[in-house]
Parts: sequence; structure tokens; C-alpha cells
Amino acid sequence: MGANGRIILDNVTVRYGRRVALEAVSGEFPAGSLTAVVGVNGAGKSTLLAAIAGVVRLAGGTVNCAARQRLAYLPQIAAIDCDYPLTVAELIALGGWREFGPFRSTRIALRARAAAAADTVGLTERLGRLIGEISVGELQRALFARLVLQDAAIILLDEPFAAVDAQTVPVLLDQVTRWRQEGRTVIAVVHDLDLVQAYFPLTLVLARRCLAWGATATALPAMAA
Amino acid sequence: MMSLHALIVEPFATLAFMRAALVACLALALMNGAVGTLLVLRRMSLDGEVLGHAVMPGAAVGFLYAGPSPLWLSLGGLASGLAVAALGGLITRGGARRDAALVAFYLVALSLGVLLVAWRGSNVDVMRVLFGTVLAIDRRALLEIAAVSSIIVLVIAALYRPLAVGAIDPGFLRAVGARAPYGALFSTLVVLALVASFQTFGTLLAVGPMLLPSAAARCWGLGAAVSMALATGFAFAASVAGLLLSYHVNLPSGPAIVLTAGLLFGISLAVANLLRRLAPISGRNA
Repeated sequence: MGANGRIILDNVTVRYGRRVALEAVSGEFPAGSLTAVVGVNGAGKSTLLAAIAGVVRLAGGTVNCAARQRLAYLPQIAAIDCDYPLTVAELIALGGWREFGPFRSTRIALRARAAAAADTVGLTERLGRLIGEISVGELQRALFARLVLQDAAIILLDEPFAAVDAQTVPVLLDQVTRWRQEGRTVIAVVHDLDLVQAYFPLTLVLARRCLAWGATATALPAMAA
Repeated sequence: MMSLHALIVEPFATLAFMRAALVACLALALMNGAVGTLLVLRRMSLDGEVLGHAVMPGAAVGFLYAGPSPLWLSLGGLASGLAVAALGGLITRGGARRDAALVAFYLVALSLGVLLVAWRGSNVDVMRVLFGTVLAIDRRALLEIAAVSSIIVLVIAALYRPLAVGAIDPGFLRAVGARAPYGALFSTLVVLALVASFQTFGTLLAVGPMLLPSAAARCWGLGAAVSMALATGFAFAASVAGLLLSYHVNLPSGPAIVLTAGLLFGISLAVANLLRRLAPISGRNA
């Protein structure tokens, strides 16, 4: 993936009305790094991901992200409207949006890649189901398969392990590990600190400001303080 | 005992205005199935209702300017409908405040429209803009309805994918760089559809043939395309049944059609719930 997966934050500040959600956060996510973002509720974790993805306006500072064109962003799962009659296969195939856009039809090669991605997250049997008929864990697996198709240099995950069942967590962690081996930059908001310790080499501790940022072993204790 | 032929075929075979009403309803049903299904799926039923009444003050100004001329009623309705759609789009913060603002729009628009028409026109004119004149559709109005309906169906066919993804996962659509104003485009289509329905069903009922058959079709848990086709079928069936009901029992036609569509919705809701209870589907929404 090379150096283009690097993200540099310089005094990044975000306000919602008068409330400061994120204040003067500076630092660097190296290309190909795997970082957990931790902090209490309202610490600005989701806001940080939105700022990197470029979907929220900065009140100050800059996000230097050369690969924003090749960035994939998975918001919290509640943002998906599951009442819509869409099949799991269709949801996964949307990962190829940059290839087919709003108007062109999907190619056979893309559909084969979608089926392969579904297989790696164990969803082959569910491809024909509607997204309203599967469990939360299965929906998150499908969204991960969609990310696989997006083939992004930078992957942002907002609480990917929250609310999913116990069998799904290892499947998702396997995929995160694969992304890391492929040299993609992965940033995930995580609540379970044991997971952070076991799987994430780098940690960023947020409380609107950056409390600690670096190797998990040295940064994570700031969370308890 | 009335024969089936006399019951169903004769009213349309003998009366030109019944035939015109039937063709108008079929043309409207084609676009209403597509627009209405997307309205329901995008959770915009209230927006549809509001835009239906937003057409009113503009149409009233058109009426003041040129009398009951279909062209000026349509142009005026289009202008005020689009203005309210734009205002509604500006209120992006969700929740109760948006609901209240939308309902305020519709109450103001409705009152203003009625005042304007009553100022220069008669009670008959007021009733006409409120409830439409499905039995007085002339050739020119028919052509307008057919043209608008065709355009809307074609545009929705072309834009279906971004409209659907925008409803399911708007963040994803933004993240993959599809930043065209699809939401605004869809609101424009809704206003166009409502303006085309205005002469037939009036400002109070125009949303009915759009929303009720689509809500009924959605009860059956089908895919989006099949749902649209079923909604069109429901809309047309309600139109035929409503027209015949109004003919034989001597009732106002517009309300008879909307009431029939409401009946279809009630039946769909009841039967779908019953089926679900008999054979529960696994999953969160079952």
C-alpha cells in the first residue's frame, strides 16, 4: 500500500454548535499501522473518524490524508436502515461502487469477488436474505465484506465489535489482522480494553483532547487515570 | 340483479368522462407506485404529505392570475411546491423540531391557499382545488399527466441505485464520493408528481393515491422493484373500484378512490400481520 496510507493530524478541532467535540488533536497514523481509539462516551472518538473521513467540517487545524480517495469508513451499525428490502449480496456488492458508480451494471468478476468476501466472513448461506432478516453480527460481517470489496488504503471502523455476538468478534478480528498484513492503515474505535491490549499495537486515548498516543502498552494506562 | 357487464364495463363504455378518468388514474398509478414506494422506503411519508399541500398557495396564485387554467395552476403549484421542498431541505436537523416545522409549513400553505382562492373564487372553486375533479379531465390535462408520469418513471429507473443507497446508508454514499444532490432531486420528483395529481385529486387527496397503495405493497415484505409494481397495481385497482363505486352509489370520485386505497392498506396490514404470526421469520424485524 506504501506511504500513501499515512494520516497526519495537525491541531484538529471540531465543534458542534458551541460544544467542542474535539480540541487540538495532533499526531500521525503511520502507513500500514493498526490503531485503537479509546475514551469514555462523548470523548470525540466518532468525531475523529468523521474528521479523517472528511464528512465533518473542521473548526480548526488540518487533516493531511493523501489517500482520502482510497479511504473506507464504517460508521456505527445503527446508521444502517435495515427495513430497506436489500439482500446481503447486494449490500456487499456496493463495496464496488467506485467501479460501477450510480449507473453502470455490476460485472461478473465483481460478483465473484463479493461471493469470495462473503465466504471469508462466513456469510455464504445468507447471501439471498434481506438485511432486515439477519442478526446484528451477520450484518456487521456483511459490512466487513463490503469493506473488503472497497479495497481501501485506509479503513476507519466505528465501534465494529459493539453489539455483535461472541462468534462474530473473532471473525472480524481475523479480517482486521488480514488488512494489517496487506499493509492497509486501520483505525478502529474500540470499547473493550482487553481486545485493544491483545490485538492493537497502537492506541490513541481521547478525552476531547489527546491524552496519550503511542504503543498500546504505554498509552493505554492513560485510560485508567 | 345487475350483470357484471353493466356493473364494470358499461360505465366506461358509455361515458367519455369515465374513460378519461380511468386513463388519468392509470397514468398516475404508474408513477405513484414508483414515487410512493421510494417515499415510504426513505421514511418521507410526512414530507410527501407536506409537499402535497405546499402545492396549494402557488396553484391559488395561478388561479387568481388566470382563472381555472390547468397550465397556470400547475406552474404556480410547481413553484410553491419546490420552494417548500427547498425550505424543508434546509431544516436538516432531525427529530421533533423538523416534524413541527414541516407541519407548520403545511398548515400555513393550506390556509393561505384556501384564503387566496376564496378571495376571488366561489365555494365550488375551493372544493375543486381541495378535492380535485377526476371526472372533468380533458385531453390536454391527460397529456400533461401522461408526460409527467413517463418522465418520472424514467428518471427513477435511472437514479434508483443512488436513491436506494442514500436511504439505506447515506454515510456510505458520501464516503464513496457520490455527492450529487440526490435527495433534492427526489423531492423535485415528488413535487412534480403531486402537481400532476393536483387537478385529478386536489391538494388534500393527491398524496393518497401515492402513499396508500405503496404502504399497502410494503406490507408484503417484497423487494423494492416488485413492491413498486404491486403498488402500481394496487393504485390502479383502487382507482377502478373507486370510480365504479362513485358511479353506482353516486359518491364523490376522488374520496371514493382514496378510501378504496385505504381499504387495501388495511387489508394488507391485517393479512401480513396474520401471516407473520402463523409463520414467524427469524430476524430482528420479524
